[in-house]
Amino acid sequence: MIETWLTGLLRRRGGRLLSVSVGIGVAVALIASLGTFLTISQETMTTRALRSVAVDWQVQVQPGADPAAVRAAVGASSGVRAALPVSMARSTGLEATAGGTTQTTGAAVVLGLPDGYRTQFPGEIRQLSGSPTGVLVAQQTASNLHVRPGSQVRIGLGTSRPATVTVAGVVDLPQADSLFQKVGAPTGAQPSAPPDNIILLPAATFAAVLGTPTTTPPSGAHPTPVTSVTPVTTQVHVARSAPLPTDPAAAYAEVLGAAHNLEATLAGTGVVGNNVGAALDAARSDAAYAQMLFLFLGLPGALLAALLTAALVGAGAQRRRDEQALLRTRGLAPRAIGRLAALEAALVAAGGAVLGLAGGALASRWAFGDGAKPAGRTGLLGLSPAWSLVAVLFGALIAGVTVLAPAARDLRGLTVSGARHAVGRARSSWWMRYGLDFAVLGAALVVFWVSSSDNYALVLAPEGVPSISVSYWAFLGPALLWLGGAMLLWRLATVALTRGRRPLARVIAPLTGRLARPAAATMSRRRRPLTRSVVLLALAISFAASTATFNATYQQQAEADAQLTNGADVAVTPAPGAPLSSTATAAIAATPGVTRVEPLQHRFAYVGADLQDLYGVNPGTITSVTSLQDAYFQGGTAAQLMAALAAKPDSILVSDETVKDFQLQPGDLLNLRLEDRTTHQLKTIPFHYAGIAKEFPTAPKDSFFIANADYVTKATGSNAVGTYLVDTSGTNQAAVAADLRRALGSSASVTDVTQTRAAVGSSLTSVNLAGLTRLELAFAVILAAGSGGLVLAIGLAERRRTMAIISVLGARRRQLQGLVMAEASVVAVGGLLGGAVISWALTQMLVKVLTGVFDPPPASVAVPAVYLAATVLTVVLALAAAAAFSARTSTRPAVEELRDL
Amino acid sequence: MSSGTHHTPPPVPSPRSTHGETASPRGSTPLQTRPPQSAAEPAGLVVTCEGVARTFGEGERAVVAVHGSSCSVRFGTRTAIVGSSGSGKSTLLHILAGLERPTAGNVSWPGLSTTEHERQGQIGVVFQSPSLVPALTVAENAALPLVLAGLPEGETAERVSEALRLVHVEDLADQLPEELSGGQAQRVAVARVLARRPALILADEPTGQLDQASGQHLIDVLLATAEQIGAALVVSTHDTEVADRLDAQWRMQEGRLSLDDPDPRMSAGQIDQPAVPTTSPATSRSVGFRR
Amino acid sequence: MSTTRTAAPRPPLAPASQPRQAGEDGSGNAALTADHLYRFFRTGDEEILALRGVSLSVAPGETVAVVGPSGCGKSTLLGCLAGLDEPDGGTVRVGGERLSHRPEAHRARLRAERIGVLLQSRNLLPHLDVRANVRLARTAGHLRRSGGHATGRGAPRVEVDELLDRVGLSRRGGAYASELSGGELARAGLAVALANDPDIVLADEPTGELDGQTEKHILQLLRERAGAGAALLVVTHSPRVVAIADRVITLHDGTVTS
Repeated sequence: MIETWLTGLLRRRGGRLLSVSVGIGVAVALIASLGTFLTISQETMTTRALRSVAVDWQVQVQPGADPAAVRAAVGASSGVRAALPVSMARSTGLEATAGGTTQTTGAAVVLGLPDGYRTQFPGEIRQLSGSPTGVLVAQQTASNLHVRPGSQVRIGLGTSRPATVTVAGVVDLPQADSLFQKVGAPTGAQPSAPPDNIILLPAATFAAVLGTPTTTPPSGAHPTPVTSVTPVTTQVHVARSAPLPTDPAAAYAEVLGAAHNLEATLAGTGVVGNNVGAALDAARSDAAYAQMLFLFLGLPGALLAALLTAALVGAGAQRRRDEQALLRTRGLAPRAIGRLAALEAALVAAGGAVLGLAGGALASRWAFGDGAKPAGRTGLLGLSPAWSLVAVLFGALIAGVTVLAPAARDLRGLTVSGARHAVGRARSSWWMRYGLDFAVLGAALVVFWVSSSDNYALVLAPEGVPSISVSYWAFLGPALLWLGGAMLLWRLATVALTRGRRPLARVIAPLTGRLARPAAATMSRRRRPLTRSVVLLALAISFAASTATFNATYQQQAEADAQLTNGADVAVTPAPGAPLSSTATAAIAATPGVTRVEPLQHRFAYVGADLQDLYGVNPGTITSVTSLQDAYFQGGTAAQLMAALAAKPDSILVSDETVKDFQLQPGDLLNLRLEDRTTHQLKTIPFHYAGIAKEFPTAPKDSFFIANADYVTKATGSNAVGTYLVDTSGTNQAAVAADLRRALGSSASVTDVTQTRAAVGSSLTSVNLAGLTRLELAFAVILAAGSGGLVLAIGLAERRRTMAIISVLGARRRQLQGLVMAEASVVAVGGLLGGAVISWALTQMLVKVLTGVFDPPPASVAVPAVYLAATVLTVVLALAAAAAFSARTSTRPAVEELRDL
Repeated sequence: MSSGTHHTPPPVPSPRSTHGETASPRGSTPLQTRPPQSAAEPAGLVVTCEGVARTFGEGERAVVAVHGSSCSVRFGTRTAIVGSSGSGKSTLLHILAGLERPTAGNVSWPGLSTTEHERQGQIGVVFQSPSLVPALTVAENAALPLVLAGLPEGETAERVSEALRLVHVEDLADQLPEELSGGQAQRVAVARVLARRPALILADEPTGQLDQASGQHLIDVLLATAEQIGAALVVSTHDTEVADRLDAQWRMQEGRLSLDDPDPRMSAGQIDQPAVPTTSPATSRSVGFRR
Repeated sequence: MSTTRTAAPRPPLAPASQPRQAGEDGSGNAALTADHLYRFFRTGDEEILALRGVSLSVAPGETVAVVGPSGCGKSTLLGCLAGLDEPDGGTVRVGGERLSHRPEAHRARLRAERIGVLLQSRNLLPHLDVRANVRLARTAGHLRRSGGHATGRGAPRVEVDELLDRVGLSRRGGAYASELSGGELARAGLAVALANDPDIVLADEPTGELDGQTEKHILQLLRERAGAGAALLVVTHSPRVVAIADRVITLHDGTVTS
């Protein structure tokens, strides 16, 4: 019986099964591809974090412990690929004589590197010139000392005679910050900058110079070993080989555990500086945000696809009831009928899985490119296996809920006759009588308000703690808003169709002519499917619009972040103490593609004992090269505060922290000390506090001042420019930067925003958000178009029948088309309007709730007008196509239609 | 719902005895009555078919529903098409109604409007299967043709209630089709035709869903209405009792039309002969509704 | 469907003590009995009584025609007799076994084993061909009779073809409902209704839209079935059907009037 049924379904119901499968497939594809995106981005974050560190762990040998023993213990612990000891000592200063003059530096750091260090830790040292082996000096030290490979450098070692070494090469230390970290000290106690002067010696030379006992006797080291008073510390640098989970959070937990384990093994003889842990720590909260984004933006789409599928299945409900009644008439037991329904559900679930996985694979390939496959564990079709499974299960759930559940509900119905008379006059839903929609909306606002009191802290990743907490509560606000909005729209549409029959007839009269009143009556009686269509369309529109707006806002803020860091499209920073000549500044302005150049002063100012950056701006013109968002400031809008700086030149904008530290009130006097150009002495200059600056182009994230450039010039006697902000109208930044680099040579460093965008930003921005956006927008359009088109597919049989009858009664073709068009228009107008309102509210809430992913927080949402217009157009086209299709069926001879019914 | 009390139909004006004097219960909107004509004058042609045939499907699987048949219908005539199921009588009726295009031969409506949709309005069809618009009430369904014809609201309402009364479904005016029994729906479909007052009434097995008494009554109503508005009436039926109540009988057998009428002037298969109907002939193509 | 607007109070459920009413043939060996059936429908605030105390019985081999004006409750009665609808009051028994007020699974078993239902239209599942429709009905009956254990792959093809041959559709077994003419549809419906070799055949206007030839054929097949001992109850308004009936029951306003 099952076989017969299956064959019959496949042969005669192929189209219907396929359409339901497609609906399920969209949900499956969405989940599979978004899940794959999530997996890929987490992997990217982990690999980036791992790649960013040159030395995984720096184990600081504690005073009194034996470095060799520590090294042996570290080397023996599991997951360690290489463990090499690095000695470190402080020099009082370096000295070199070149071309008859002698250059001296301040305090310097001397490192002793064992053989093979550079092969094990290739990222730590970058060769600039000379030989890779032997004595190496850092680039800045080399330029301070004016030395080259072959020059001799004297290392000052306190009381003892300086040791003389011959420079073999000049190197750069890209990871100087972590290399010279204070192992075991909290973030706040870390040195603010790496040492200025660094010299690296081979271990043997180091031992010879500093007298640390070494296993091998010094060979080729000319100075005789001396016993130094200079303390030597030792670190064991570790490269790990243990494979890590691809999820940053899991990887972090594992690395942290391994480090703790090692410290326990070392029993106090060593402290682990966990560089790789720190990198993963930063990545894991970004990964949690990526997961939130997935939830916020992916789940509604999948739900929408499920709703569409339900509507699609619902269109065949009467047929199913009739069939069920007939099966019962033939004496099939409820259980047997249930089995047949389950068969159909399984069929569409399987079809949906196949279509969905194929579609998901295509979508991910299109959105993320060929290379973006989950590394190592490339699953089926390049999708993440785990997410594919989740997607398929969700598809099966949709099939169960939409196909099997209604069948089971009908089966429970007492009698066959009851099933046959299930249609009737539409009654208002129970939730409308109880006002559940208002309750849901109210709950949304309450949840939103509650989470706003935590500053929408969605992700809490306490430093050093492996667990990460994600506040899924916040997710509830937008979810309830979406649901409540849809329910309210349902109510409004129902009321409008019930009560507004006459106005409706007047509105559609241009389309339907004389048939306006019967058409309005028809719509009023068929308000349930119509309302469902309106709500589905509105949900799809709101999904598309809020997703797009959110993504656009995100891009806008990422752009703002890059702009903030770089200052403008292109930034020209003269070398310190060497201001650009006037010809050079003229050259900048004359470079093709440059539309405007704005000088930005940069000084250091003491406020009390605190040294802060001070930026002198031309308040009237600064905004012509860079954008100042209102969110950067407090105490006024960007424009107001710039106007204040212009109106009162001694005004100053300070950081929030400074306001607190110095208890400032607007208008308060603030005395700063700046260097005077002529005397080179600090000079007290009075300013008046005018407002708070939280962010400013090129400024650091912590405290800084913004003042009027003219006032600073007058007070200090210097108009030295820190940075020239160059505007290129937002285009060709890289090309203009290259031109400027050629023109200015070594006199200034030139950066452009595209380069900065790649360099800065969290690992979240660095993952392929463009791909995610593309993927989501594509699905949103598909869903919106689908719900638009589905509208007219629902109840097609009844409509065709109605059209056939009316045409037999003498209606013109145009009147019949008008009927369909009127219905389509009502759905389009209702759905688009409702969707616009819901998406407006939803976007506001989403942007607020997801504040955490934005850096800097947005002042206003960015509305992607082009995309929205394209979505609306697509929906309208889909509706028009469906209406045209529906109307075309009316040209079929009416009698054929009636014969079929 | 019908009260069920109309087991025996109330008297309906008998078509012959009340000719010329039957008016609707409301004087304001009498069913238009054609002026009596001289019996010798042949009535105008409503529809005429020349060698029409209809084939369904193609090639080997083709089924010929109607073989080349010729016939014509004049104003005021009452014809039955008798035949077994699958004999092609529905198809022929649909061709006469302009709903089905013949695959061969010609059909024309010399007595009706030349515009297709207007003509469709002048032909009233009662289908074998239920043909009510599901989302409209009984009254709205019955009013549809009048709305399409652009009749004023007030007059539409009057004509509709009158027509519903004629077929005893006035109580059901606000019901939806799904709330009706098959017989009730069929009567509403007839009321919809009556309200429109068409020039040609085509009924396909109108009594199929009705018990005998209701069926008889429905035929009475159809005959009376056709008479009053001077319309031609064609009824397809397999019920000989029904067929006997009509003036002429055409027989359909395996798609072939033959004359089964003692009166050779009834024009089946031979349109060239002048056919003089026995009842109220008409000269003009005046149709009983006002614009 | 329903017949009368009434404000009548809800009919009492038939008390067990009520004496069983039976037809002239007596209830002892009746294949099908209905005892004081009540059925009402609610439309909005209105209650409509479709059946008000209908009692009847059909003996094996007997043909009973139920006639009455349209909307007198005939179809509702048939639904209750087939166990497709639950009466609000009264009892239906099939061969002495109670059919009404039992779980659907139980009613389904009785239907599968003993009852064949022939509807006026839509007797076939549209996505299965005629043969598969017949086989489905036959398998349902056989499965039940063999104690619920599937004995292989459903009804043997030979039996199905034999049945189709009997109704004159031997060459249309592979056709779907949409491909059949009206007469063929009726015969296919009959084949499905008889597929489980029922003791009781219930038919709702089986010849309503058929021409005389087909009607005759259908009636002849039904009579054959009655001749083989089946109880036959036909809801109809066709005089030809009435003519072949052993007994005629007239239903009016939800009550038996003769």
